[in-house]
Amino acid sequence: MNCPLWEERIALYAGGDLSGGDAALVRQHLAACPECAALAAELRGHLELFRIAHAEPIAEGHFTAVRARVLEKLAGEKRPWWRHKPACLAAAAAMMIAILIVARPHSPTMPQPRAQARTAPAPPAVPGLEAPPPVKPRRPHRLLASATGPTGPAAPVEPLVVKLVTDDPDVVIYWIADK
Amino acid sequence: MQTLAAMAAPLDGSEALSGLLEAARSGDLAAFEILMRRHERLVLATALRLLGRMEDAQDASQEVFLRLYRNLAKVAGTENLPGWLYRVTVNVCHDVRRRHPEVTLSGDLPEFVSTAADPQQAAAEHERRRALEMSLRLLSEKERAALVLRDLEGLPTEEVAAILGTSQATVRSQIFKARIKMRDFVERYFRRRV
Repeated sequence: MNCPLWEERIALYAGGDLSGGDAALVRQHLAACPECAALAAELRGHLELFRIAHAEPIAEGHFTAVRARVLEKLAGEKRPWWRHKPACLAAAAAMMIAILIVARPHSPTMPQPRAQARTAPAPPAVPGLEAPPPVKPRRPHRLLASATGPTGPAAPVEPLVVKLVTDDPDVVIYWIADK
Repeated sequence: MQTLAAMAAPLDGSEALSGLLEAARSGDLAAFEILMRRHERLVLATALRLLGRMEDAQDASQEVFLRLYRNLAKVAGTENLPGWLYRVTVNVCHDVRRRHPEVTLSGDLPEFVSTAADPQQAAAEHERRRALEMSLRLLSEKERAALVLRDLEGLPTEEVAAILGTSQATVRSQIFKARIKMRDFVERYFRRRV
């Protein structure tokens, strides 16, 4: 090429990257220089061919594959806790209920004495009066019973278990309460 | 409800886009899939030209969309989602190339479908395109990125400069060098074959 000083401007001109004044100068030069005109035509031809190649459609399968991979990855990722809004709210509600049940004030009763101790001696028989029925010993509260020591074979107390299943398979809420 | 709103929204307009972004941000994967469908060509085609291999381009696209999902809060505040995607695509492709620098000049060239009716003309066009694809691999990363964004994606120089984080003068210089290098390569390629 005989006009190396023009090379840069011609390369930019071929891609439409020159402003009006510069583009006009290049056009003048190209009109007078067949070699540079050939270079400009060649560059334009390459760019055009490349643009056509780039604009060709890409097979849908390639897009589908990318989408599937991304969605699979996102679905597998653990979401931050604030994204589990419904599950978190349900868990908080269940927790509050459980706390209220456990912490509710019990009746201010002293630990009940053992059944045998409370069995009062039979009142003296009064003619014409029936003896009152014996007092049925109350079953002490489970927690109090354990505090006061074993009282013989206690009846098994089944706690109430509520299982809350959320949308998220990783979050299951158990609500355990005394009956 | 956001999903339904996002699905029902027209696919054009910034309101629809912000609705999709908002829905996706709240964890709506259906809305995010619509976002991907709207921008997948931009990402995959750019990555394919920057990397030269469909397999690598798919890996890069996957990474770009995962980054988009993780940065939805940031992206929602920007007006220019395509600009953000171009920038991340270029960065991810740089990373991929650094991890796999063994890309060969002629290996894994894309298949061409010639539009020419004459078989001889079609063969010539095929060869030219092959040479052009190969020449793209000879460019430096920056030259290639500038050329792909400016000449193939058709972005204005100003936007290319913003995406690449450089000046317009630098982009012009990179584009000029890239065009001349490609032309020289194609010339040498055919001279050798003749």
